[in-house]
Amino acid sequence: MPVPETMARDRSADLPAAVLAGFPGDALTGWLRARDRLRGAGYGSAVPRAFERSSVALAPLTGAEAATALADAVSTVAIRATPRIAERLCAVAEIAGRRMPEAFGDWLALIRRLAALAPESVAPLLDNMEMLTARLDLPGLEAWIMTGLRLGGRDADKRQSYFRLETPEALRLLELEAGGDSFVSMERRLRAYLTALYDITPPLRIAPPAGRQGAARRTSFAGGVLLVPPSLPGYRGAAEPLYRAALAHIGAHLRYSGRFPVGQLKPLQIAVVSLIEDARVELLAAREMPGLLRLWRTFHVARPGGLATAPSLFARLARALIDPDFDDPDGWIRKGRAMFLERRERWSDPAISREIGNLLGNDLGQLRVQFNAKDYVVQPAYRDDNLGLWDLGEDPPQDAEALEVMVDTVKLRRSDPAPGEAERQEQQAPAEETVEKVAPMAGDTEEGRVLASYPEYDYATGRERADWATVKAYPAAPGNPRFWEELREARGPLLSRVAGLIRSAEVGQARRQKRQAEGEVLDLDACIDAATALRSGQFPDHRVYERQAPPQRNLAVSLLLDISQSTADPVPGTDRTVLDIERDAAAVLAHAMDEMGDPFAINAFSSDGREEVRLTPIKSFDAPLDAAVGAALSGLRPGYSTRLGAALRHAGAELARVPRHRRLLLLITDGEPSDIDCPDPVYLVQDARRAVQGLAALGIDVFCVGLGPRNKEQEAAIFGGNGFIQIDRVSALPDKLPALYLRMVR
Amino acid sequence: MKLDQYRLTEEPAYHASGNEVAFYEAAYEARLPVMLKGPTGCGKTRFVEHMAWKLGKPLITVSCHEDMTASDLVGRFLLGPEGTHWQDGPLTLAVRYGAICYLDEIVEARQDTTVVIHSLTDDRRILPLEKKGELVHAHPDFQLVISYNPGYQSVLKDLKESTKQRFCAMDFTYPAAGIETAIVASESGVAPDVAGRLVRIAEKSRHLRGQGLEEGASTRMLIHAGRLMRSGMSLTDACRLALILPITDDPDMRDALEAAVDACA
Repeated sequence: MPVPETMARDRSADLPAAVLAGFPGDALTGWLRARDRLRGAGYGSAVPRAFERSSVALAPLTGAEAATALADAVSTVAIRATPRIAERLCAVAEIAGRRMPEAFGDWLALIRRLAALAPESVAPLLDNMEMLTARLDLPGLEAWIMTGLRLGGRDADKRQSYFRLETPEALRLLELEAGGDSFVSMERRLRAYLTALYDITPPLRIAPPAGRQGAARRTSFAGGVLLVPPSLPGYRGAAEPLYRAALAHIGAHLRYSGRFPVGQLKPLQIAVVSLIEDARVELLAAREMPGLLRLWRTFHVARPGGLATAPSLFARLARALIDPDFDDPDGWIRKGRAMFLERRERWSDPAISREIGNLLGNDLGQLRVQFNAKDYVVQPAYRDDNLGLWDLGEDPPQDAEALEVMVDTVKLRRSDPAPGEAERQEQQAPAEETVEKVAPMAGDTEEGRVLASYPEYDYATGRERADWATVKAYPAAPGNPRFWEELREARGPLLSRVAGLIRSAEVGQARRQKRQAEGEVLDLDACIDAATALRSGQFPDHRVYERQAPPQRNLAVSLLLDISQSTADPVPGTDRTVLDIERDAAAVLAHAMDEMGDPFAINAFSSDGREEVRLTPIKSFDAPLDAAVGAALSGLRPGYSTRLGAALRHAGAELARVPRHRRLLLLITDGEPSDIDCPDPVYLVQDARRAVQGLAALGIDVFCVGLGPRNKEQEAAIFGGNGFIQIDRVSALPDKLPALYLRMVR
Repeated sequence: MKLDQYRLTEEPAYHASGNEVAFYEAAYEARLPVMLKGPTGCGKTRFVEHMAWKLGKPLITVSCHEDMTASDLVGRFLLGPEGTHWQDGPLTLAVRYGAICYLDEIVEARQDTTVVIHSLTDDRRILPLEKKGELVHAHPDFQLVISYNPGYQSVLKDLKESTKQRFCAMDFTYPAAGIETAIVASESGVAPDVAGRLVRIAEKSRHLRGQGLEEGASTRMLIHAGRLMRSGMSLTDACRLALILPITDDPDMRDALEAAVDACA
């Protein structure tokens, strides 16, 4: 029943002035009704009080209507969750209202939806709301929340940990929503860009999420590994040029920078030296590629003048050094630029960066400019954190993976997060490193059937050790009998494309068959011969036709899949593992080969020491491509290591028994040869090389399809310069493999 | 003279990058067959033309394709008003009258076709014309040159070992930056600094060879781009038209190449 306006007026006498100002006229009636409803609902006195306070604060920002609507959300949360959380909602609503005044009504609706669907998650979400609203707009927030609900499914604990930002997905998705354009979506072309500019293919890794603070993010490089932030907050829509600028900058470092010993340098000096070094390498790179300066300069937005704080001075000096049109009145900046330009002739010498940096650093010290190393973030955003420039003085770890971890820890130390978090992240880091050597499969005690023993080549002694590696057959785990149906559903367009490709390939491969008894056209040579014969009184050959016919295919293929533990890694940009992609690719290719009528076998392998080279037969040469093959393919599980040589020898020995003119062994692998009992990385590489050579002598071509970024020299050593191809984007494998196959067997 | 139409009347411009001219002359002196290896558009054909001009010999070029038969090379009987008559193929012409015979992209031809050259490429120097019942002894001036792009990923498309081992080989790559700049400038008529920029762009694209591109941009493409620029096109547009779009259909690679062009512009 509507409350008469006069009555509201009467009751307004004892109300604070702020309420009257925020809810003029009819709005007051609604507000009073909402308050009274909360008062009468038995949530205790704190809830209506909190509502009063917050709605009054919100009204000027969001308008009276939305501020009143807060009551509905409070009521829903109080019922679904607890009154205490409803009280908390009021306080958080004030923050949200300030951040997104226009969308506040929608924000409330979102909270009500969440309260209805997952009441337990309201509290953790509210705890993080301040950070979330700072980084996401409402559609982004909504997408992030809804994804969380979907990921969590019916598991309340899982949902809660998502909204507490404890799961990596929560952080990753947050970065994704916040940054707009993620690195993953651009990775391939950015990688190609870096390679094109500098002819380098360093490993690119996506940096672990920054954590709850949502700190400003920079690229980083150390030991040749590039760490790239998964997304760049604040550059929605413009992330690609920024990534490009960042990679072009790092490339310049990799080409022109050495490493400086840290020695006794203070953080301030390190920062200044790095800054000079940044400008130096950029200008050197620009001598060759002047367009890069144009790209970089767009990100230098520092204005002349302003406070003489360290961050401001640094940003301005950075701009002054690479932008001749930039004129700053500050004496320190002018001095820095003059010193830098004076040494133009010596720019190719990294020592000048230290020289100038030290002088300028001392000047800053004398000017008593404060420098807070902990909060310092390199500006502009495309520049890296310069960790890679400095020799940290500790023993540099040899391999890239360890270095990566080290860099991460240095970063953590530098960003100095909350104590609990550092611990958590450190625990996370080793968990992500999948060490292939210690990954036995649980519950797998069954002994495999011994198939054969093969020699192994020891490069150190230069001889083959007889019967060194034992290959055992392990049948695939029970798999999905509906594999082919599901593949057709998931990859339908691809399968039909491949079928089309095969049809057209067959047409393209048609050969002229001459001197046929029947055919489409006359064979001119045969006609002439016949005419010659006739005139010379001989009996002419009647086979004077020519026809197009598909060639006699005389080919056998053995497909060898690497299913070592590393194939359990997820493929960037998808929710699938490397093995999933390998499996699909093998299935699509098998389909293609079956259609062409080429005999083929499929085997999968892994290894657990020389006595345990585990081979899983999926299809033999004479078996049909049926549901059993599909089930075996889908039953593959990743595990163990990669003893390549023995697997190659076995598949090759099988293939050698097939009486075909051309025999091709096609290997799909994502890693390098390794095994638990081989500490020497070269040993298995040399053995694999030997195996490939041995097969070549038997007339078997071995071709390797490498997934992900590869060590090309090593591949070339094993398979020969033309014996391998690298597929960077693993997810593209099923599309590429059939085409590659057709090209190889043409 | 039978081969006059095959003689080069003007000097084909060729900028040597190394000793290839002297090497070729030595090989010709000994009448050894020569194999030129190298990516497409790096100047193999131009080199052969230049050498033929320099040595004053006629040059017969055959572009090989996968349906080529031995009679396409050697010759065949044709029907004429007087009955059948024999028509020499390009290879026989060169053998009979003394020319340099250049088989371009020999791997494209079927392997059974390529064996007809075997008897010509050892000390016999003869060409049996089986159908005609004739044995042609090579003219003293005759020399065989083949070209061959080792290419990327062509595991199974290779010359037979028995064919390979008959040849002296010369490896061609894209010329060094300075020479390539001079070539682009003189062939297309753009200023040397513009040519230098084009060459730098080509280098960037060659870095992607095997990393998404089958081949980088060739010198020929640069000359095309230079000619487009001569007619008033901007560097970016000319590179797009003459380099990027022809070379790849992969959107990511196009994107990376365009950004690289931008960096060099």
